[in-house]
Amino acid sequence: MKRIKCWLLLVVLLPIAALADESAETLLNVELKKEPYADAATATNLPAQSAVSVLKRQGAWVNVKTTGNANGWLKMTAIKLTDGRNGAKKSGDSGFGSLFNLGRKSRTASSGMAVTTGIRGLSEEELKNAQPNTQAVNKMDSFASSKSSGEKFAEKVKLKSQQVEYFKP
Amino acid sequence: MNKLISNLLCSLLAGLFLSTTALAFDFGDLKKLDLNKLTDIVKKTESLKPLDDKAELEIGKGLAANLLGAVPLVQNEPLQQYVNKLGFWLASQTERPDINWRFGVLDSDGVNAFAAPGGYVFVTKGLLLRMRNEAELAGVVSHEIAHVLRKHHLNAIQKSAQTGLMSDLAGLALDNEKHGELAKKAISAGTELYSRGLDKEDEFEADRIGVVIAAKAGYDPYGLPAVLQTLEAINPQDSGLALMTKTHPTPTTRLQKLDVLMSGSLDKYATQPQVADRFIQVVGAYAK
Repeated sequence: MKRIKCWLLLVVLLPIAALADESAETLLNVELKKEPYADAATATNLPAQSAVSVLKRQGAWVNVKTTGNANGWLKMTAIKLTDGRNGAKKSGDSGFGSLFNLGRKSRTASSGMAVTTGIRGLSEEELKNAQPNTQAVNKMDSFASSKSSGEKFAEKVKLKSQQVEYFKP
Repeated sequence: MNKLISNLLCSLLAGLFLSTTALAFDFGDLKKLDLNKLTDIVKKTESLKPLDDKAELEIGKGLAANLLGAVPLVQNEPLQQYVNKLGFWLASQTERPDINWRFGVLDSDGVNAFAAPGGYVFVTKGLLLRMRNEAELAGVVSHEIAHVLRKHHLNAIQKSAQTGLMSDLAGLALDNEKHGELAKKAISAGTELYSRGLDKEDEFEADRIGVVIAAKAGYDPYGLPAVLQTLEAINPQDSGLALMTKTHPTPTTRLQKLDVLMSGSLDKYATQPQVADRFIQVVGAYAK
């Protein structure tokens, strides 16, 4: 029993650690830049498959820390996210996902526990057999916003609208 | 059922054949015509008759009702209101700011997002909880808004042979006895799209438009690419990803296409806010 509690604690704590730093590895030989710009000075060179931790993101760039504690910037497309173990694919535990099991088997390797609950909804079969729920559609009207409250929402965090053209097809 | 559809299609095509082509071709030429060409003629004819906004909304409500029949909304008003404020701000940057925009978080662990004609946009809880900040949510919601702007679902429904009476869909605008039947067919064909997916090119277009809407709204436009990178790392065997995988191009392909497109053009907006604090506050309050 005590053992189970201990594992439960691990299940809770491990993901919290993962929320701050995401594990990743380089896809190719890359220059680790001191700033998030292509012509910024190079901090060091990283061979392909170097393990890194992602600290933050800015535009197309990710701020990473290497296993050797070098800190710098890589293009987002120069890395892939991993679970930190041999580049094996993980369950996409980014963001809040790292705090929850999100209803699927996860953490089996790190916690030794398989936690499985059902995936609810949205299989092809369920879509096919769904009975229309017009009440829920009407319920959405009560959550609707407006142009002016959208503007206030943007102002609160200093979002400023910009003139940007769509890409030509 | 398939037989019924092909029969309907055949009678429609046969009708066109007799009524229009007989004037233009003698019987020798008729032999050269194949079904594809006739279908093209049908498409060209119907493209001249776009649905009006009212009929679009009717179909959209039907699709939304079916989706919500399969999976309910998350019961958390602050979260639903948050997503609606964000959505309205994004939609106000577009060429259709005043349609019936409605945004909802679906109570599903599946990783997905959906749009329906007329202004309905949905994100699953499973996808929302994998995001890091508001710019990522804005990227995903903007992608769905783009589907509505470009009427991708409506166009796919109109192209769909399942409706049988394709060119008559425009008749939805009329209150005649065929209205109910037509709407039902369109909604059924549209719901099937959630399982079958849109054209890949529609998805790429929604990506291209989505990142621009996010930039216009003042966000770091790389929110959508960041989400695609998250999706890329999810094991494709993960059951929560099954429907998304079936209905979309791979996240890696989408990410690469956006990277090429955005570098040099949207880079100057890369330092715009990602708004992590508010996102973590609202979504965290719901998730705890």
